[in-house]
Amino acid sequence: MLARRSRWAGRTAPSTRTLGTRELRWLGVLLVAAQLPQAPHLPIWVAVAGLALVLVRVAILRTDPWRPQAPPARIPSWTLAVFAIAAAIAVRQTFGYFVGRDPSVAFLYILVAIKYLETRTARDATLLVCLACFLLMTPFFYSQSLVAALAALPAVVLIGVALDVLAHAQSIATRTFQPGVALRRSAVLMLQGLPLAFLLFVFFPRLAQPLWGLPTDWIARSGLSDSMSPGQISELSLSDEVAFRVEFDGAVPSARDRYWRGPVFARFDGRTWSGMPFGVPDRSTPSDGAIVSYTVTLEPNERRSLFALELPAAPPVLQSGSASGRDVKAIITRDRQVLLSTPVTQALRYTQRSHLAASYPAASPNEGRLLLGLGEGNPRTIAFARALRREVPDDHAFIAAILSKFRDENFVYTLTPPFYDRDPVDLFVFEERRGFCEHYASAFALMLRAAGIPARVVTGYQGGATNRDYMIVRQSDAHAWTEALLDGRWTRFDPTAAVAPSRVEIGLGGALRAGEPLPFLARLDGTWLTRVQLAWDAFNYDWRRNVIGFNRERQRTLWNDWKLDPYAPWQIVLLVAGLAGTWAALVVGGLMWKRRKQERALVLWDGLNRRLARAGLPRHPYEGPIAFAHRAAARWPQFAIAFTAIGESFAALRYGDVPAPREREALLATLKRAIEVLPPPGTLRGAS
Amino acid sequence: MPAARSTAARASWFARWRERALREAPNDVGPIVLRHSRIYLLPTRRGWAIIGTLAMMLVGSLNYSLALGLGVTFVLAGLVAATQLHAFRNLAGLTVAPLAAGEAFAGGTLAFTLALHAGTAARHDISVASATARAGGNVEAGTVLTTTLEVPVPRRGRVALGRVTLSSAFPLGLWRAWSYVHFPLAGLVFPAAEMNPPPLPAGEGGHDGLTRGASDETDLVGLRTFQRGDPPQRVAWKAVARGAGWFSKEFDATGGGGTVTLAWERLPAALPVEARLARLTAWTLAAERAARRFALRLPGTSLPAAQGREQRIAALTALALYPAQPDAPPARKASRRVSRGRNAP
Repeated sequence: MLARRSRWAGRTAPSTRTLGTRELRWLGVLLVAAQLPQAPHLPIWVAVAGLALVLVRVAILRTDPWRPQAPPARIPSWTLAVFAIAAAIAVRQTFGYFVGRDPSVAFLYILVAIKYLETRTARDATLLVCLACFLLMTPFFYSQSLVAALAALPAVVLIGVALDVLAHAQSIATRTFQPGVALRRSAVLMLQGLPLAFLLFVFFPRLAQPLWGLPTDWIARSGLSDSMSPGQISELSLSDEVAFRVEFDGAVPSARDRYWRGPVFARFDGRTWSGMPFGVPDRSTPSDGAIVSYTVTLEPNERRSLFALELPAAPPVLQSGSASGRDVKAIITRDRQVLLSTPVTQALRYTQRSHLAASYPAASPNEGRLLLGLGEGNPRTIAFARALRREVPDDHAFIAAILSKFRDENFVYTLTPPFYDRDPVDLFVFEERRGFCEHYASAFALMLRAAGIPARVVTGYQGGATNRDYMIVRQSDAHAWTEALLDGRWTRFDPTAAVAPSRVEIGLGGALRAGEPLPFLARLDGTWLTRVQLAWDAFNYDWRRNVIGFNRERQRTLWNDWKLDPYAPWQIVLLVAGLAGTWAALVVGGLMWKRRKQERALVLWDGLNRRLARAGLPRHPYEGPIAFAHRAAARWPQFAIAFTAIGESFAALRYGDVPAPREREALLATLKRAIEVLPPPGTLRGAS
Repeated sequence: MPAARSTAARASWFARWRERALREAPNDVGPIVLRHSRIYLLPTRRGWAIIGTLAMMLVGSLNYSLALGLGVTFVLAGLVAATQLHAFRNLAGLTVAPLAAGEAFAGGTLAFTLALHAGTAARHDISVASATARAGGNVEAGTVLTTTLEVPVPRRGRVALGRVTLSSAFPLGLWRAWSYVHFPLAGLVFPAAEMNPPPLPAGEGGHDGLTRGASDETDLVGLRTFQRGDPPQRVAWKAVARGAGWFSKEFDATGGGGTVTLAWERLPAALPVEARLARLTAWTLAAERAARRFALRLPGTSLPAAQGREQRIAALTALALYPAQPDAPPARKASRRVSRGRNAP
């Protein structure tokens, strides 16, 4: 009974305590700081409404000058439910569904603001701080860039400040709240916690597979898609976004050999090229052409296609798995695509070996029979190809004739082709003659098929820019080319190269006419701005590789590098606990050391008191320094001068007027020297 | 037999452990420095809420492979852990010394004074709480904070302070660090004086202000403000008539008044024990106020006639410690607790 009551007495104020204006205001500041990083990823009305609700409450918090004691203004509790239901319906209307990541994040964002409108008690405040913690995490669903990480930091510090304000209101001591002190304290606490955070980040075991399913609306990012219709790649080419980065083990192949093979499309409906519904694995290894080995860091793109230089020699060695983490495997299909068993949902690193070859033997002689479909429409192109075929019966000569048609006639390579509505190939070849790589590849493949030569479209990337020791391949490097089955071998033909040879030699920037809209970084002029951009990219690459991409496999690799692999998990846990203990000792010790430095006189005095107590002369609690020094001098007259000096200098340091720094140093030196004069307690005890 | 002994040993080991952990006996003597063995740390309710939130964020980040989600979770976890160290450091090295226990009448508050020596570090928001009282504040580095616990005391007797909990939720209110100290500090609670008691018994020899009447001018020492209950014959009617206000005449009883004997056995037989004590207390105070010699006779205790502060305290102490009746459990419990503590080896 007694114990329980005493615990009650020790407790701070109950959780139903009404919050004051200052606490509510700081909670508002915290919420805004937690909302801001999330706002850009939300529908505009959600972003604005959430912020506005918080600001409205902050605005009406101003104390009524006529009723200073009145509780802070708020909305009645029952309206919380009304607001929440209205917000849920509005979110449902905006997204078209409710159960999913994006609507949930939007709902949480707006719910926090509504809760803040109604907040009254200390318990509500705790809930708000917890919700703010959650809000800090949600922007990382959308972006894990360095900017996103830095954007979260102010809110982390403000969480500390909000907790400090709440603790201050419950404190038994009466002290005025100083925002500066609270901010500094919170920042110091965060900085002191960083070593532990780092330790946890490196050593905390990651999940091999998710505990529950990933949300279905995991965002579809830009990149090559599962089909190709006119205009798709040219749109992609306006993007500076990074598709993947490559480190070559040896020499970097020349630009004209850097065809990064991606999705292969064999079916054509007259407008859109699409792939086979499933990839047939193939174990044969074409063995001609120089071998290159390299490591690709692929940005998450939610697709299963990996990219490899033509032609991939063997399935890649995965260094870090995809987000879903299940037993991920990569295969090479019969049409020489590298496919992953699951979509790539986080940065993926893999090592790949390729033969630099522009042709390879077909898996079976009958393969070509299925690849002659012409789709609907485009009668003029088909008729033209058939007529040409009658004139030129040889396959190679026929292909050369078509390429020369593209080269010699007035075809324009452009990022802004007109929109081809019906019979797109006919319109492109015979009317407008303006197109991007997909138009050329599509027309070329259709003409070959019309002439009875099996052909298919390959999409991927072409080129890439070297930055320091690695290569960046951007979405603007997206490309489409053609493969034709000639004499039992699939042979690469790039009709775009016939129109704009420099596209393949030096990239998009060299191939387009002046005045074309061009992604900024694809331009060739090496201004300082480009260099800054590239340095930034290098940094982002490291960030991606070492922070975002730090998953289970990279963790294992790091442990191996640190020679931790022979140890059992419990030994590693012990090691981490030891490091955490060292951290705690350093932090506590650092606190003591800092204070000791501030209070050197006091420390010296305390030490002397301990020594004299051991020598048989403890200081009475009521005894001042001078009185105690007198008593000690009387007890040991041979040290009377030292004791007098000690008593007077300590009294001056501790209780005198604030001395000038130099004077203070002199007093401290006197105190220290006088104490050093005294013999150790054992000798002192014997002396009289 | 060995089994019994080992059981006993285990029991005593457990008792020692329990005593060390909970400090249920008043065994702390002199100033106590709070060290790690005495300091406990647990999250507050808000701390638990934050820790739970961080756990959920951790699971979510792991599930979705959000590296930065893990990052922000761990940074917050580092902040919470640093807060724990600061909470520990806030109490560690603080020195608590018992200063004094006061006196009080039942129904009032008994003041216990403790001194908190900060040592070399500033201490924030130190709460000092006994079972029924709470005090505290900040202690600046190198200073001493004297805190007084005003313990409400409903009953007479010797009242021990009991175990005191020093606690603080500094810096962010996420962790509560606390320590128990249990000093053998006890104060005396005198019985509450009876309201409107009968007048003092007649003195032996000399005269009594009431019995002699108000006409004896020789012993008049002065006037004091009229209080309700003063007999009409003492009212200074002349002053009232002058319109100066209401005053009562005061008589110097020492010269003429003899020793009063406040005797238990002379009280009406029907009066219950606590009522007797209350009346005797009221008379003691009245005798002291009237500056008269008095003797006190209780069953088993007898104070010879004397006068002055010492006599009053001796009489009140005897009344406070008069063997208590079963209807006064807290006082008895407290006094037994103290004696047990003292007799412990």
